[in-house]
Amino acid sequence: MSRTPRYVIALLVAAAALAGCGTASDRALRTTLAALGTPPVESPSASKVTPATTCPHLTASLRPPATMPTPGSMPGGSYMAAIRRRGYLRAGVNAGLLDFGYLNPATGQIEGFEIDLVRRLAAAIFGDTSPAHYRLVALTVPQRIPFVQDGKVDVVVDAVTITCDRKEQVDFSTVYYDAQQRVLVPSNSSATSIASLIGQPVCASAQSAPIQIMNGLPAPPKPVGMPQAIDCLVALQQGTIPAISTDDSILLGFHAQDPNTKIIGSSLADVPYGMAINQAHPDFVRFVNGVLAELRANGTWRRLYGKWLGQLGSNPTIPAAQYDG
Amino acid sequence: MWTSDPELSLEGIGIAAAPAPTRRWRVRAGAALDWVRQRITTTPGKLVLTSVLVVLGAVCFGVIATGAEQSRQRAVRAAQTGTEPLLVHAVNLYTALSDANATVATGLLAGGLEPPAKRARYLADLRVASQSLTALTREAGSSAGAAGALRTVANQLPVYSGLVETARANNRQHFPIGAAYLRQASGLLTNTMLPAAGRIYATEAQRLEDDYRTGTSNASLVALVVAVVVALGLLLVAQRFVARISRRILNVLMVLATVALVAVSAWAVIGLISEQNALAAAQRRGSDSVEMLSAANVLLSRAEGDLSLALVNRGTDVTDPQDFAKVKHALATTGLATRLGPAFPSYLAAAKRVQDLENGGQLGPAIAVSPAASTISDRVSADVRTRIAAAQERFTTNAADASSSLSGLDLAIPLITALAAVLVLLGLRQRINEYR
Repeated sequence: MSRTPRYVIALLVAAAALAGCGTASDRALRTTLAALGTPPVESPSASKVTPATTCPHLTASLRPPATMPTPGSMPGGSYMAAIRRRGYLRAGVNAGLLDFGYLNPATGQIEGFEIDLVRRLAAAIFGDTSPAHYRLVALTVPQRIPFVQDGKVDVVVDAVTITCDRKEQVDFSTVYYDAQQRVLVPSNSSATSIASLIGQPVCASAQSAPIQIMNGLPAPPKPVGMPQAIDCLVALQQGTIPAISTDDSILLGFHAQDPNTKIIGSSLADVPYGMAINQAHPDFVRFVNGVLAELRANGTWRRLYGKWLGQLGSNPTIPAAQYDG
Repeated sequence: MWTSDPELSLEGIGIAAAPAPTRRWRVRAGAALDWVRQRITTTPGKLVLTSVLVVLGAVCFGVIATGAEQSRQRAVRAAQTGTEPLLVHAVNLYTALSDANATVATGLLAGGLEPPAKRARYLADLRVASQSLTALTREAGSSAGAAGALRTVANQLPVYSGLVETARANNRQHFPIGAAYLRQASGLLTNTMLPAAGRIYATEAQRLEDDYRTGTSNASLVALVVAVVVALGLLLVAQRFVARISRRILNVLMVLATVALVAVSAWAVIGLISEQNALAAAQRRGSDSVEMLSAANVLLSRAEGDLSLALVNRGTDVTDPQDFAKVKHALATTGLATRLGPAFPSYLAAAKRVQDLENGGQLGPAIAVSPAASTISDRVSADVRTRIAAAQERFTTNAADASSSLSGLDLAIPLITALAAVLVLLGLRQRINEYR
């Protein structure tokens, strides 16, 4: 019997060894929790709006050549000749701005006022209107300037507002559309202008110029920033904000999507849109300005405006070209 | 430790070890000890004490063995019919929500005319989510932490589906605001509903984990083995003692008691070991696979949702491509990517084609090739679902094995132990009676 303790130990060891074959492990639990716990990427929060800098001759651009080259034969060594050799113009555009640049789900094509301008530009280089002569590149807002700087596109026609900061990074054409910051409210609203909305929440795209403009008013509303301007229309439809203030080009698209809205009051600010071009190609800037001058002069601009933007007013002021060099 | 001398073992068991905090107690304990000492000097007294000890040992064995068996059986039953089915509901809830979001985004990509298959799948996802929610809510009383999370999902589900329908209505008219509504719906799901579903999942997974721990705990087995050794040891010592004083080698009734005790002990030890092996297999080959495959499937849905949402947002949103990259990274670092099977790399390749076109601004072509990625994702997901069903089957089979390993023991342990005790008493009474 003196060996009993050894038997006991042996039995216990055997039991423990057998038990070890089948014990719970939480490895799967830890893995799945780690996997499911991967946090979603947050929308960029509204960062601090930098105050607008001012500069002389904001909307002035390079003068067009005295005589425009004949479409289809570009001067040797020019950037236009390089585009012609490539076979197509690369244009950065918007795909989400109804009537300006919008990918129509029905056709799968991007269409709008700005897209028609791109077509005219391509036609002026290649001498025919074949769609093979331009490629549209849909850009996000943060992509617009870098794509020009990196030479990934020849021109950006994407509702880019001409600002002093951006003029240091890219060249701008003359103004092809002079947007106005205005106010959109539900059609049963009693507000008649931004002045009726003192202290009330008015929505705009976060970190955008419209918010700065509203803050600078003598009797300001309470601006509310959303990740994108269209989110403001969602908030308006859901009744959480009474008004939206941004470029009329955008508000027009909103009204088209919701006829229970109206655009009120006069312009809060001028918002000039220019085509952005790489600073290494001043000859191309001059050429584009020449094309725009022709479009203004021969009635094409007015016709395209009527086709896409007629609801904004039947008698638009054609943005005048200003030159400084 | 146990020695061959029963007198020493008596003292060792407890009477002398009784605490004597005061002098009076010490006197009483001393008196009791004297009484016992006087009794055990006589042979009948020794026999009575022996029978008391052996019966006590048997009772201890019966109680401990029954306790071990009961705790194992409870854990197995809880896992089998309670916590594992609830975990599956929690997994289904999470998967259905995340699949609904990806499906609706992919459906809206096709323009105004959503493919009927996508619509049917979205509705099926909502149905699964509601059913799982109902099943989980019924049991929520037992886990307070999950109750709040369940309320969150239940309150937000109608809001979510309302936003999705508004998105669809606008999308049918080709209005870009449809994408904004979808983005809001997706944000609600991703930032509020899925984290709540994740908390529900974590609670249920932890409860199942606890059942596995109890059901495979070595403590039960060690307690059982110790009880077996003590009870059998006492019985053998008692028989040796009886053999010495009665000069008979075998006491038939006590031998029968020993055989009964050995048999029921062996049954209990084998039962517990095979139960815990079966339960561990149910976990390892069953529910662990269900969890891991489901998590992989959820991440796949999320990636597919990101890919589609980026396109639905027409290049106006930069967060979705970032989230896609994050999900891809998570799949790789957790090793879950391998569980998605051999077709997953070709999904990534197809997704890359979409993203390359998109990054190059070729939105129309990107949308045109996206169904290729979606088709592969559907195939991968269908394959994963098949394997989840197979894993669930393995869980069911192994858990049933675990449960049946213990069947009969709940009756056999008390009955056979009682029988052994009665046999011992009868066997010793014969000897005691010889002295009257």
